[in-house]
Amino acid sequence: MSIEAVKADKAASQENWEPKILVFACNWCTYAGADLAGLSRLQYPPNVRILRVPCSGRVNPQFVIRAFQKGIDGVLVAGCHPGDCHYATGNYFTRRRYLVMQRLLEFMGMDPARFQARWISGSEGPKFQQVVTQLTQDIKALGPNRKLRDME
Amino acid sequence: MNQHTVKMRELARELLSSGQVSLVLGWEKGNLWYKSPPVFISRVEDVEKLIFDEFCHNNLAKYLMDLVHHSGKIAVFVKGCDSRAINRLLQDNQIKREKLYIIGVPCPGLKDPDDAVGKKQGAEVKNSAKCATCSYPNPVVYDALLWETVPVNTTKAPVEELIAKLDSMTPDERYAYWTEQFSRCIRCFACRNVCPACNCRECCFDQAEPDWLGKANNLSENQFMQMTRAMHVAGRCIECGECERVCPMNIPLMAINKKVARDIAELFGECAAGLDLEKRPPLGHFDLNDPEKFM
Repeated sequence: MSIEAVKADKAASQENWEPKILVFACNWCTYAGADLAGLSRLQYPPNVRILRVPCSGRVNPQFVIRAFQKGIDGVLVAGCHPGDCHYATGNYFTRRRYLVMQRLLEFMGMDPARFQARWISGSEGPKFQQVVTQLTQDIKALGPNRKLRDME
Repeated sequence: MNQHTVKMRELARELLSSGQVSLVLGWEKGNLWYKSPPVFISRVEDVEKLIFDEFCHNNLAKYLMDLVHHSGKIAVFVKGCDSRAINRLLQDNQIKREKLYIIGVPCPGLKDPDDAVGKKQGAEVKNSAKCATCSYPNPVVYDALLWETVPVNTTKAPVEELIAKLDSMTPDERYAYWTEQFSRCIRCFACRNVCPACNCRECCFDQAEPDWLGKANNLSENQFMQMTRAMHVAGRCIECGECERVCPMNIPLMAINKKVARDIAELFGECAAGLDLEKRPPLGHFDLNDPEKFM
């Protein structure tokens, strides 16, 4: 391929860019919520990759940084509503941890919109659809994430 | 020899000769007039090595981690910041209180050894940055206090100004600033090794499986390391400033630690680490009425 062709190819791929979004979904609520969204035939953008975790409290800050390193454009941590945690208190710890984490990312120069947390229960299929759609729109507006990436 | 040193040696001699302790952790005069490295004393005749001057920077509490299997009791000299480190280690179940004899030394603020390089002994040396905003110069935990407590300094530290400056920047400017800082990091782990809050038996940066931290020398891995460290010590950092002091590349690490501590205070109420053994670290417990932003 000539240099021009490579450049044209690159430009085209940038034009057709679609965000990659990683959703950490708690097994007991959000994963069931996503399942319900699917069963109810609710349309949501295919940009999300759902990763099932036993509890939103399982999500380590390293998971989030690693995701950004490896080319994810936005991260959503989703779990049970406060009071509904399968393990009684996991999501309360999540809430504290990620309030701090979001501010740290902001201080490091990341856009805080790229990292979000939401409570989505097993019966909230439509909420899952709506949150994911909104997040995808937000990330699309922000463009590809170049920060914290391990390669360009 | 100053009065402080005399008092230190007196007490150390008494403790060692009476057999109350079998080891004393203190500071000695190094090869250079502006260096006072740690010294480990187990014989009475060696107490003459002990000194206290304005270059006793090392936090001796972290050395207790290497001495957990020491059979006898250990006497350790602590400044205000070091005493909070003792509390940190006690709270993390790393050391046992009954094996310690803690000797409090109220700290008048130390001098910056980097500024003394190349100067003649006795020359004017500027104050250490980490002591500029110290809110706890007086030990918070001790068995004996060697001399009178000192007044608390309340001036605004340069690090606060740096945080304010960074807060006023756009995200891209902030990112550019931290890129410049972290790109210098050589991942020597001095910041981790000196940190009393970094007391895991196996650090995630050393683990081969999963290999959290890559071996590649690039900015991304440096950012990963520094951000992970900030999160791991969040709410547990005692703000002793040792990480920044030992950093060979002069990365302003305390700006991150102070910023996180301030965020935590804003979100969950004041919870300075290493003061109260009964109070759990802010990220280690929760309140039902914590701020709710994630609905």
